[in-house]
Amino acid sequence: AAFGLYFPRKEYSENVYIDQPAGTPLLRIHALRDSHGEVAHFHLCQNLIISRARSHENNWFQIREKTGLFYLSKSLDREDFNMLSVGNWMPLSKVMLYVFLSSHPFQEKECDSAIRTTVFLSLINATAPACSSLTARQLCFTEMDLSFHIKENKPPGTFHQLQLPSVHHLCQNLSISYKLLAADHMPFRYNENTTGVSVTQRLDREERERYELIVKCTVREGFREMQVEVPFLVNVLDEDDSPPFLPNGTDTADAVVEFNRKEGTVLATLTVYDADTTPIYPLESSRKKYTGTIITDDPWISETFRVEHIFDEIHFSPNGSQVRGTQHEYKLVLNKSISVTEHRSFQLDVLVNDTEFHGPERSVMLHFNVSILPVSIQFPNTTYQFTVNRNAERFAQIGKICIENCMKFRGVNITYKLLSPNVSCYAVSVLQGREDKYGSLYVNDSSVLRRPECKEIQYTIQAVDKQSRKHTKTLLTIVLEGTLLKNEVDCPDSCAVSKHRAECEECGGLGVLTGRCQWRQGSGKGITTNYSTCTPSIKTCPDGTCDVIESKDPSVCPQDCTSGNIIGGHGKGFGNLGIRSGHGICYCFPRQNCYCEKDDIKEQLCDDVCKTVI
Amino acid sequence: LAGPPSPPGQDPHGWRVPVDCVRANELCAAEPSCSSRYRTLRQCLAGRDRNTMLANKECQAALEVLQESPLYDCRCKRGMKKELQCLQIYWSIHLGLTEGEEFYEASPYEPVTSRLSDIFRHASIVSGMDPATNSKSNHCLDAAKACNLNDNCKRLRSGYISTCSKEISASEHCNRRKCHKALRQFFDRVPSEYTYRLLFCSCKDHACAERRRQTIVPSCSYEDKEKPNCLDLRNTCRMDHLCRSRLADFHANCQASFQSLTSCPGDNYQACLGSYAGLIAGFDMTPNYVDASTTSITISPWCSCKGSGNLEEECEKFLRDFTENPCLRNAIQAFGNGTDVNLSP
Repeated sequence: AAFGLYFPRKEYSENVYIDQPAGTPLLRIHALRDSHGEVAHFHLCQNLIISRARSHENNWFQIREKTGLFYLSKSLDREDFNMLSVGNWMPLSKVMLYVFLSSHPFQEKECDSAIRTTVFLSLINATAPACSSLTARQLCFTEMDLSFHIKENKPPGTFHQLQLPSVHHLCQNLSISYKLLAADHMPFRYNENTTGVSVTQRLDREERERYELIVKCTVREGFREMQVEVPFLVNVLDEDDSPPFLPNGTDTADAVVEFNRKEGTVLATLTVYDADTTPIYPLESSRKKYTGTIITDDPWISETFRVEHIFDEIHFSPNGSQVRGTQHEYKLVLNKSISVTEHRSFQLDVLVNDTEFHGPERSVMLHFNVSILPVSIQFPNTTYQFTVNRNAERFAQIGKICIENCMKFRGVNITYKLLSPNVSCYAVSVLQGREDKYGSLYVNDSSVLRRPECKEIQYTIQAVDKQSRKHTKTLLTIVLEGTLLKNEVDCPDSCAVSKHRAECEECGGLGVLTGRCQWRQGSGKGITTNYSTCTPSIKTCPDGTCDVIESKDPSVCPQDCTSGNIIGGHGKGFGNLGIRSGHGICYCFPRQNCYCEKDDIKEQLCDDVCKTVI
Repeated sequence: LAGPPSPPGQDPHGWRVPVDCVRANELCAAEPSCSSRYRTLRQCLAGRDRNTMLANKECQAALEVLQESPLYDCRCKRGMKKELQCLQIYWSIHLGLTEGEEFYEASPYEPVTSRLSDIFRHASIVSGMDPATNSKSNHCLDAAKACNLNDNCKRLRSGYISTCSKEISASEHCNRRKCHKALRQFFDRVPSEYTYRLLFCSCKDHACAERRRQTIVPSCSYEDKEKPNCLDLRNTCRMDHLCRSRLADFHANCQASFQSLTSCPGDNYQACLGSYAGLIAGFDMTPNYVDASTTSITISPWCSCKGSGNLEEECEKFLRDFTENPCLRNAIQAFGNGTDVNLSP
């Protein structure tokens, strides 16, 4: 597609002074061509934009349709200045005009063409300065950077004039000359007669995207000579002129579905490179320009898989100079969870299409070797056997049950159930968290454990896959052991209440395994995750997660589960639950506050090493 | 055509003194011809295309009438009551009139007339110490102490710190939206002699500079999993009236200028620092110190120019207004040194 004519700059700027005579040239605008033979026509929109919203009819500025010379057609007097300054409450008034471009003569007011450049005019509240008062910088250049953009693959042409028309007009007895430095071996030429800079050949962005030159300006006035140098930058604009290609020729990848069968799983990724740039903004339009489509007639395949496309900027170095390119990644993603019974193998082809490239190699085919393996729902060969102390309390965690590979599963919903035994010794239950892949066995009725007739209890455990209804069973044996301890009087329900090691270890509480709470001795340094505390079982509490059994009763492990106030130095856990880190000893009154504090009664034993140090 | 509802005030230079947009809206609403034209214009602008709008006679007429009404030049004040409402009125007129592709937009806020030296005077009364002395001390620590001694500053500071460092879950580090809101309250409601000292304290060692970098709790308010493209970020910001206004204000007051000694517009450091702090107050455009370097100050929003395609030049120009802005850098250094430009009256 032809871009048509375009401006090599987005903005131009110049100063305008009071009472400058009509006919004063202000600046020169250039256009570059898309194809040979095009002729540029410039047109000024008759709308002078003063500050943002305010506009005024333009009575003062004109542009020559053929040459692009922007000039003052009517002198601005003080009254004009005052009028244009209204609404511009900055000391410096700026007005803005749009210049449009067309390949045919302008018929009428056409202010809506997309191809336009902006001219900023600074209205200076003074008459034009004397040439002698201007610095070399002001005589040679405007305040705006000399920065241009040239599209690649377009015919050569002149894109800038170094001489400032306004200065040339005003200071005719000064000699101002320019030189383009560092231009050797670069596709740019400076014409001394016209002071025009032109590009001499078609540029290729994929070869080089930035040219940095220097302009030296020399001002001579009698015997005085002044020099100024400024950078002159040319950026090469990209168009889609490179086809996609495969790094190392890799167009095939294996995609295996086994334990992870969840919707959204990325199975495999293939990469496609392109030497062209792809803007990430706006994202959606760039995605549409580079498509990846699954080629299939099978409705099951198109329902079950999708292709996700992400892209990123990478750098190529074709000949020393670095240019930007694009890496496109095509990910094969499960579009829905796959049943455990599914068993298939096939090749899935994805057609990648660079839609804006106009050549024969605009697309590449990617191949994914997909294998969907069935997984079996079964318990490990052995039956489960757990030993439970007769002194265990309600919510004591006995162990976990899990089918083969259960922790690897994703997107497979297994539920565990205990089938009731026909005896009366029904002491344990199983619970499962919302996302848990295993079942947790816990004591549900501690009075059963105390009954002498209950010694060994047998259960059947069943695991069911929700989606396929596939299920499996195994045997679970609970062996009761230990002799009953005498209960201490005045012990609280919850281990977490105890503040000292002694009271902790002589009491029991909800969730204990052997009838007594356990003391965790922390490191005692500042606020630490390893704080001292009393817990039913060091293995499960505190471990930073409020598990499904702990959350059944706030007395079991408030250290992991509290949502109440924590007084003293501490850090809260995820979701504001529990004490992740604490200072000294942390203890809790369930349903009330927790406290973290240093123990004031020091019972530190001083051994021989300690004595010698003292 | 009806005249404006009430004659706008004139300042000594003969310029109209702008009223705030909430007031201007009330004045317009009281005048049937103005309010009906305003309604018409808003309907015209709903299409959001300037040229289509200008082509319509009715829209053109409405625009001409409103050019004479106080609504046209109205502005808003930072932290004013009903600031958001004011900005909504401002953009309801101005949004459709610009092309939406302007690099710098005019600020809807009134120009700042106060100077840095006013803050210094105030700050030394507040803290009882001159920020220019005590070259050995940690200025950022002093600033935190000064804030803690003031009830309002202490309350709002601990408010945003606890909001911004509250972990939600393993995957969600914090509630960014709430954190931004709390930061906004801090910067809007605490006097600048406290907030600037925290934000722009000068540092001679790493610990101090790290404290300065941490002022806004960057792990929540600034950093994100991915760095978006700066032009994309600017686009998101411009869809929000408040963010758009604060960004325009930053550009108006911190845009480097060759025409002044300090590189700042009107040599006004206070205005630049104020609009910088206004931008922090909680948007995705929030800028911060990129590292804890003591020698060079580099500021940037959380974005990069990667993936800019043909707009790389524009993107870098946008980013440079933060990273390589002599006005902003001079203003921060001047505040840290306790110096302001001496302007001859």
